[in-house]
Amino acid sequence: MTAQSDESDFADYARDAWGSLVRSGVFLGCSLHEAEDLAQTTLVRCYTAWPSVVAADNRSAYVYRMLLNCLHDSKRRRWWGERATERLPEPNGSHGGPRIDAMAGVDTADAVHRALAALSKPSRDVVVLRYFAGLTEAETAEALGVPRGTVKSRLSRSLAALAANDHLADYSPARTEETTS
Amino acid sequence: MTDLENSWDDLPVGPAPVDAILREARRAAPTPEQRLRRSLRVVAVVGGIAAAFVAGTLVTSGDTGGPGSALPPDSGSVGEDVATPVAFFGELEAPASCDDLLAHYVGAGIDLVSAYGWDSPQIAYYGVMDSELRAQANTPVPTAPASNDRGAQNLMTAAKTTRSTSSATGTNVQEAGVDEPDSVKTDGELFVRLRGALLTTYDVSGDAVERLGELDLGDFEDGEILLAGTTVVAVGNDGTRPSNGGYGYTETSPQTRVVAIDVSDPADPTVLRTADYDAATVTARQHGDDVRLVLSAGLPDLDFVRPGRSRGGEQVALRTNRALVEDSTITDWLPTVSIDGGEARQLLECDRVAVPRAEVGLGTMAVVGFGAAAPGDLDAFGLAGDASLAYESADHLYLATTGSGRPGDFTGCGFTASCTPVRGGSSDLGGTTHVYDFALAGTEATYVGAGEVEGTIRDRWAMDEHDGVLRLAVSPSRETGNFNSIVTMQARDDALVEIGRVDRLGVGEDIKSVRWFDSLAILVTFRQVDPLYAIDLTEVAEPRLIGELKIPGFSSYLHPLGSMRMIGLGEGPTEDGRRWGAQAGLFDVSDLTDLRRLDTHSYGSRSRAMAGSDPRQLTWLPASRTVLTVVQKGRAAYVSALRVGGNELANTMTQVEFGSDVDEVRTVPLYGGGADGGDRVVLVTGEDVKFFDVG
Repeated sequence: MTAQSDESDFADYARDAWGSLVRSGVFLGCSLHEAEDLAQTTLVRCYTAWPSVVAADNRSAYVYRMLLNCLHDSKRRRWWGERATERLPEPNGSHGGPRIDAMAGVDTADAVHRALAALSKPSRDVVVLRYFAGLTEAETAEALGVPRGTVKSRLSRSLAALAANDHLADYSPARTEETTS
Repeated sequence: MTDLENSWDDLPVGPAPVDAILREARRAAPTPEQRLRRSLRVVAVVGGIAAAFVAGTLVTSGDTGGPGSALPPDSGSVGEDVATPVAFFGELEAPASCDDLLAHYVGAGIDLVSAYGWDSPQIAYYGVMDSELRAQANTPVPTAPASNDRGAQNLMTAAKTTRSTSSATGTNVQEAGVDEPDSVKTDGELFVRLRGALLTTYDVSGDAVERLGELDLGDFEDGEILLAGTTVVAVGNDGTRPSNGGYGYTETSPQTRVVAIDVSDPADPTVLRTADYDAATVTARQHGDDVRLVLSAGLPDLDFVRPGRSRGGEQVALRTNRALVEDSTITDWLPTVSIDGGEARQLLECDRVAVPRAEVGLGTMAVVGFGAAAPGDLDAFGLAGDASLAYESADHLYLATTGSGRPGDFTGCGFTASCTPVRGGSSDLGGTTHVYDFALAGTEATYVGAGEVEGTIRDRWAMDEHDGVLRLAVSPSRETGNFNSIVTMQARDDALVEIGRVDRLGVGEDIKSVRWFDSLAILVTFRQVDPLYAIDLTEVAEPRLIGELKIPGFSSYLHPLGSMRMIGLGEGPTEDGRRWGAQAGLFDVSDLTDLRRLDTHSYGSRSRAMAGSDPRQLTWLPASRTVLTVVQKGRAAYVSALRVGGNELANTMTQVEFGSDVDEVRTVPLYGGGADGGDRVVLVTGEDVKFFDVG
């Protein structure tokens, strides 16, 4: 990949996709910090294979498949084991605006993990890609390498399971107060 | 859900570090992933383990479809001849080094080990899950199997049953062209029997069976044999560590002994070579003169402690055991082989052990191919996971994760297969079965791709490959509804993807047997009645339920006699209708949309049709239109000769054996071996080998 236009295309794509990739990482079980690393690794791999990414029928499916692969590479372990924290979350004592409050990020990630821990890994993948990252059913199916019918059935089961989950209920009032601006 | 949605938006994500990504990407760019080579071909090294890789078959451009030809999407231009020692890709990856592989084992092992070692006191928990499943199963479900579109049934279909006779060596097998081991084998003239450690040869070409010679294999137990030309391959164990030591975990890792015996002089059989593995046999299959073993090495023997008063409590024991796993070496995890009693060597090179991306149970599978006469020249590769359900078609091998993945689960156990419990560290697989596809050529295998299906696959009979399409009979798990399905899968690019399915077969019922044909599956489920389903697989992407028959009882083994008739051996109510016992049923399958049971024969209460658990105890003799099958009644064993008239069964019972030797009874066909060109049958009982008069 040498063409300058390719590079600027890629940069644009990276800027666009960054938020969703990081958020997906968190929803798939990473800490915020891990999710940023994951998104970065994914985008680096995308750059390496940019012609294929561009040529792919379905860019999102391709990129999210890469994200999942990178995730499996980095944590081939189980979903909800003990996780060492590299960065100690320190609340910014003096000026703790909600956007840069690391603690809020950790709390949010924790609540998300607890809520999603009730789902099996395949179901979690479907919910995150289809529902949160906003991939289409076809894109989700392609990214996960499963048929569309499976995406549909896993999604409906998972959403029903999540609706009945109380980890979020426990957590939501406090969070809502803190971050609703 | 709105809370989760808020969480998504609330995550404090900063702007993309595009510069950092570009910097790192430029550094990484010159080394794109080198996964061009996918062949697993190796050079056979005499007496040793092949370690060197050779360049695989060149992939011709434009060839994107079939097994073994597809390339992962980012693997560069097709046909480019760049060698790399990596034959795994996608869902299976080759470890970068032995350390990398060890890290995988240790990482998963530490999560798995408990204060009691590999044993874990979690069975109770799973017991609960089981009863929940049962409770679910008992709740009434609307009986609405896929509404048959009667009109559509006049479409072109290739669905039909086909005649199945015993293999060339006289064994009733699953797959034509793939021979299975048994206690007896014949080539039509020479007859070989293994009983315990004693191999005996007979001449069956004359008027009476004549004993020729014998060979004591010494330390050899639980063996079965294959016959390839003038070589007998016996697969068993050395008796020190039997692999069928009981339920669940075994105390030590199992052992497999393979002995090749030259019977070119049948009066004086001699041992050619012996190979010992410290792993359990999952399957042994013969394709022509090539033999392929699938071995399961389970988890390593480490000197685990258990909690006890003198040794400290659970925490201490757990810490100690985790430390033991942490300190394990790669040789603890990988199986070894020893040829002719020589030094044990590592069977698998680290870079030939694929690490699955999916979270399958912990353990090691080894696939070992060799020529029948040379069990020391091995083509071997491994899988660092517990995928110990193996099915082989003529040119594919599929490894699948088993059952619910509960710790202590059997491997390869289901409705008919014999069981080999291997201590395996399965994690909860979440009700999803992972399947790995390998294309076979001679003693070699090439990884094709991996896929997953929700639900469980009960045994090898639930899997079938035809024309590159894998067909599965899938039982329910917690990822599925409470019904069985037929699923078709095909290799696309680097993955095995689902292309079609039929759901809602036998709602709330268990699969009892499956029989596959080129374009047809016959499936039997059971809870109270025996629905027998015919599924048309002509259009692999759109399998259709075309016929259904409900009758009392069930068939645990189905044998197609031809395109018109099928025999089912199983259980059902006795003739007085008040008791339950073995039964044989004759089915009319000439019109699959209108399946009929023409006749049944009940063997009376307390009887058992042995073919239900071991199909090798059934023989179909087309010339005399007779099915021979072994039936146990009380302590006596009978050969039931079922003559198939037009629409009925006529049974003749011959008592042949008493007591526990009933498992050893075989009726081995010598097709066309009779004086008038008819079939002859060799009857094997505990003590005797003689001709059986079919009458």
